[in-house]
Amino acid sequence: MPEIVTVEDLVEVYSDGTKAVNGISFSVNDGEFFGFLGPNGAGKSTTIKVLTTLLKKTSGKVVIAGNDVDKRAEAIRKVIGVQSQDTVIDQDLTGEENMMLQGHLHGMGGEALKARVKELLSLVGLSDVAGRRAGHYSGGMKKRLDLASALVHSPKLLFLDEPTTGLDPQSRAAIWEYLSKLNKEQGITIFLTTQYMEEADKLCQRLFIIDKGQVVASGTPESLKREVGADSITMTLEDGAAASETKDRAKQALGGIPGVGNIIDSDGGLTVYAKNAGLIIPDIVRTFDSNKIRLTSVSFASPTLDDVFLQHTGRRIRPEELEAKSQTFQRFGAARRPARQ
Amino acid sequence: MSIVSDTYHLFIRALKKLVRNPILLFFSLLQPIIFLVLFTQLFSRFVETGLFPAGVTYLEYATPGILLQNGFSSALQSGTSIVDELNSGMLEKMLVTPVNRSAILLGRLVTDAFRVGVQSSIILILAYILGFNVATGAGGIVLAIIIVAFFGLAWSGISLAIGLRTRSAETVFGIGGVLTFPLLFMSTALVPVKAMPTWMADVSSFNPISFAVNAVRDLSLPSAFSGATIASAFVVIGAIAIVTLGATLYLFRKVVK
Ligand SMILES: Nc1ncnc2c1ncn2[C@@H]1O[C@H](COP(=O)(O)OP(=O)(O)O)[C@@H](O)[C@H]1O
Ligand SMILES: [Mg+2]
Repeated sequence: MPEIVTVEDLVEVYSDGTKAVNGISFSVNDGEFFGFLGPNGAGKSTTIKVLTTLLKKTSGKVVIAGNDVDKRAEAIRKVIGVQSQDTVIDQDLTGEENMMLQGHLHGMGGEALKARVKELLSLVGLSDVAGRRAGHYSGGMKKRLDLASALVHSPKLLFLDEPTTGLDPQSRAAIWEYLSKLNKEQGITIFLTTQYMEEADKLCQRLFIIDKGQVVASGTPESLKREVGADSITMTLEDGAAASETKDRAKQALGGIPGVGNIIDSDGGLTVYAKNAGLIIPDIVRTFDSNKIRLTSVSFASPTLDDVFLQHTGRRIRPEELEAKSQTFQRFGAARRPARQ
Repeated sequence: MSIVSDTYHLFIRALKKLVRNPILLFFSLLQPIIFLVLFTQLFSRFVETGLFPAGVTYLEYATPGILLQNGFSSALQSGTSIVDELNSGMLEKMLVTPVNRSAILLGRLVTDAFRVGVQSSIILILAYILGFNVATGAGGIVLAIIIVAFFGLAWSGISLAIGLRTRSAETVFGIGGVLTFPLLFMSTALVPVKAMPTWMADVSSFNPISFAVNAVRDLSLPSAFSGATIASAFVVIGAIAIVTLGATLYLFRKVVK
């Protein structure tokens, strides 16, 4: 399969000295659903901005659909569709007018454009409200309109920067469905970034896990999870004056239990990996009991992409915080758009 | 020609936004209307001092000044729109399309000029109701509106440049507000040079507002018409436009590079 995106040793340093992307190389095949999974500040948006001609790279090589990003930005803009992380629509225009404007800016017009706009509005379920001002749409409707407007000119490569962040579960599921359809039925190559491991797991054929501007791991979701090789058991301990001392004793106790692998101390509690979690948990409980270590919770799960991240970085991706924040914003109407991440 | 069609589509979009926010249009017209109604009443007997052109009412004298004042302050708010496009992400959304880069700026400028033209027409109608007339007739009215709109265009360049540079609507408003009144009062917009202290008369004779006001007044007052005044107004406004639009273009290129 031919490569539609080739990136070699990409480095992006902002004018204030922030090294947002620190030597990333990857390629995306034509027709592929490719993803970047990583926490806030990992460098996902920065990478997208360079690839979509918005930001000049510091160094490295970027080729999109056969065009070097430094030399043929104009040619790249014709074949890509972009949905940025912040929902960007004109609140004063109707949904339909937003779409038409986007088409005009791509040099389209006439009946062909009208038909295309109609088709896309119906694809994202906005036909009924096409004539209403977009400023009155709900958050999920705005995201869908933004997505549809990135598709007007039938791009062969679609960049989506966190397309579901801050959305409720139903809206998220709806977007997942459109994206699968676009990729499977229309063969559009999709480059998606996300902080949600379920999203990456469900949608991406291949993904890169990114942290602090670098690649932490890469592969298919299945191969990445297989690498973890064991179930994860996560425990939280009783807080108290001697919390850190208790934690140290707990780590020591865990180390003595046969079958317990890597012990990771993250803000979510203590996590260990074991081949057969169901059999080992009773051992853990017994050992802790005899050492007078009080457990407040213990749970186990088959490995997720978050475990991949945790094993490589010692931290969790934690998109929950972000979700909670954007929900608060919506509830109090404090922001029309989610804050820039 | 993508520059023409892109400019056109962006102009139409801006017009829709303007029409759908009539409250903004209303507020920006409030000040010139208050000037028109109250100033011309308040100062109506000033013409008796003999410092004004003979046989001219204060309304006839001041209306061109109020037109220019409106064009000036309205243009100075123009930068807030580019700040909005920058901060909302709309500019980036446009920049990932193949849209002609200059058209983004041109669309803005054409809209500003158009808006000043519409506002000027409304002020002229109101002034007409109060007893104002343009001596040179329909052609003079059109030329007067063109002068005011062109004048506005030159200053919206300054405002856009400030907006692009600071990315702050408050700064655009602030600087616009600070510039308006000193420049307005130190010009021949509301009072002739003869009535000013010498230092102010000196400032006024260099003030670009004076050049533009004098040109409009030439068209509106009876027996004053002189092509030279109008030509010099265009030269002065053109020079300002080249400087301000040059700065805007430079800053805009830096943003879109
Ligand atoms: N315009 C900017 N100037 C300076 N630093 C920036 C800018 N934009 C992003 N950064 C920094 O670059 C890093 C990567 O940011 P970003 O690419 O937005 O991450 P992500 O999209 O993965 O959350 C972060 O540390 C962020 O604070
Ligand atoms: Mg981001």
